[in-house]
Amino acid sequence: MDIAALSGEIFGFIPLGDIMLYITPFSLFMFAGALIFTFLIAISKTETQVEAEFGSLEDNRISIDLKEFKIRRFLAIICGLATSGAMITGDLFNFTLFVTLIGILNIGIVSAVKIIDVLDSAFQYGLIAMISSMPLFSGAALILGATGTLSILNLAQIQPNPMVYFGSALILIGLLGESGVAPFYATKAEMFRTPGSPFILIIHLSSLLIITRAIEILLIINTF
Amino acid sequence: MASILINLLIAAFMGTVLIGLQRKVMARVQMRPGPPIIQYVLHTLKFYLKETSFPKTAAMPFYIAIASTLCAIWVTGIIMGPVTQGSLLLIFGIYAMHKIVEHNAGSSSGSPYGKLSCVRAVFSASAELPLFALLIVVYLQTHTMIISDIITYQSINGPLIFSIPLAGIMFFVLLITKSHYSLFSITKGKDIISGYETEHFGVMRGYLMFSESISWYMLLWIYLTVFFGPLSLISYFMGMIVISVIIAIINAISPILNPNHSVMFQITCAFIGIFGSIILMII
Repeated sequence: MDIAALSGEIFGFIPLGDIMLYITPFSLFMFAGALIFTFLIAISKTETQVEAEFGSLEDNRISIDLKEFKIRRFLAIICGLATSGAMITGDLFNFTLFVTLIGILNIGIVSAVKIIDVLDSAFQYGLIAMISSMPLFSGAALILGATGTLSILNLAQIQPNPMVYFGSALILIGLLGESGVAPFYATKAEMFRTPGSPFILIIHLSSLLIITRAIEILLIINTF
Repeated sequence: MASILINLLIAAFMGTVLIGLQRKVMARVQMRPGPPIIQYVLHTLKFYLKETSFPKTAAMPFYIAIASTLCAIWVTGIIMGPVTQGSLLLIFGIYAMHKIVEHNAGSSSGSPYGKLSCVRAVFSASAELPLFALLIVVYLQTHTMIISDIITYQSINGPLIFSIPLAGIMFFVLLITKSHYSLFSITKGKDIISGYETEHFGVMRGYLMFSESISWYMLLWIYLTVFFGPLSLISYFMGMIVISVIIAIINAISPILNPNHSVMFQITCAFIGIFGSIILMII
């Protein structure tokens, strides 16, 4: 299929060994967007959550200590870079690898928080993410077996067969779990109650951008 | 450059007026006089003249950057939509980033209302994105995601609303979702004051309202362009007014849903829209 009809005119290619990256307005926008948000996270402080205390006139302030701040910021930056990688990669296996890395980092960003409800939610999301990695990689493996390539540019030139459709369905299931889209949203939403706005941005950002890129990739693979 | 500026001005003005019209119609349906139609325009301009203050608890400079980013995102939307008629997929990406900003505008201030809105934004994004993904049905029908090519396809084969009606109807649910005071607007429910906008003052609030106006115009523009084919300028304006009035009537007579119900309703619509349309295309 014609990638230009899906993502816009191809500006150029970046060959990296047998992996060929292609640059379109879509991939460029998503890549730049992920990098800009990552930069913002790197330079920002965290907010202080203020809530009225029950039974008194005092305020309850929840903030992040320096040690927690440093480890969460580090994980958030790595997650941002992994998201940027997933936006620009031209290889299906690399994409699934980035998605899995994002899932692990999302759990890591929240696991440093000392709030039981948030940790419970992170644990539940972790279970879903771990389970989802199996169909994700299986799907990529099936597509490799059926076509002999994982390069998205090459896959665009190959007529899809039933095994490719099945592999794509598995990838879709894996992505739904990893990114926490409905019906898996319930496991992930509670994670966002934690303080540390810049860090939880990257959890949301990575999920939504991954879904958007996945739509492009799945359409490229499954249409001819 | 001139084309971008003209389109931006049209989008900002039409968006604010249409939101004002929607509030007026809602008020009349509810037997209230309602605000003047230009109230939203005045309201937006007012915030640019007000003093800007920043909460002591906010995550700086993230708090400032996030409101400005929303403007930048929708200006890109204008460039990729009405100006260059680029890829729908890119507009999908812009919409995803809009949801991210909506989520973080709430959480960056430290306000508990903003925080609740942030959690609800995660809920709503998990359903709104699949709803926006209905546009893949357009691709399966036309074999292109480029807006100018979709317009050409419709000028030859007729409007897509007749060939993929289910996708058109379900995309309309997304329009309802993003309209003001809708049954799905859980991120700005009055139980959490103004949701993610609660702790944004002065120019920051102005940015958010300006961006909301453009996003409303853009969603209507996408709907009319993708499902109703090549339209003249007058047809666009008439179409936007008609859709805004219909949505206002729906919003006026429906209560806001519980977040879980809202998400499940939207995801059901997305499921029916995508898979129903594909089954209909196969049959």
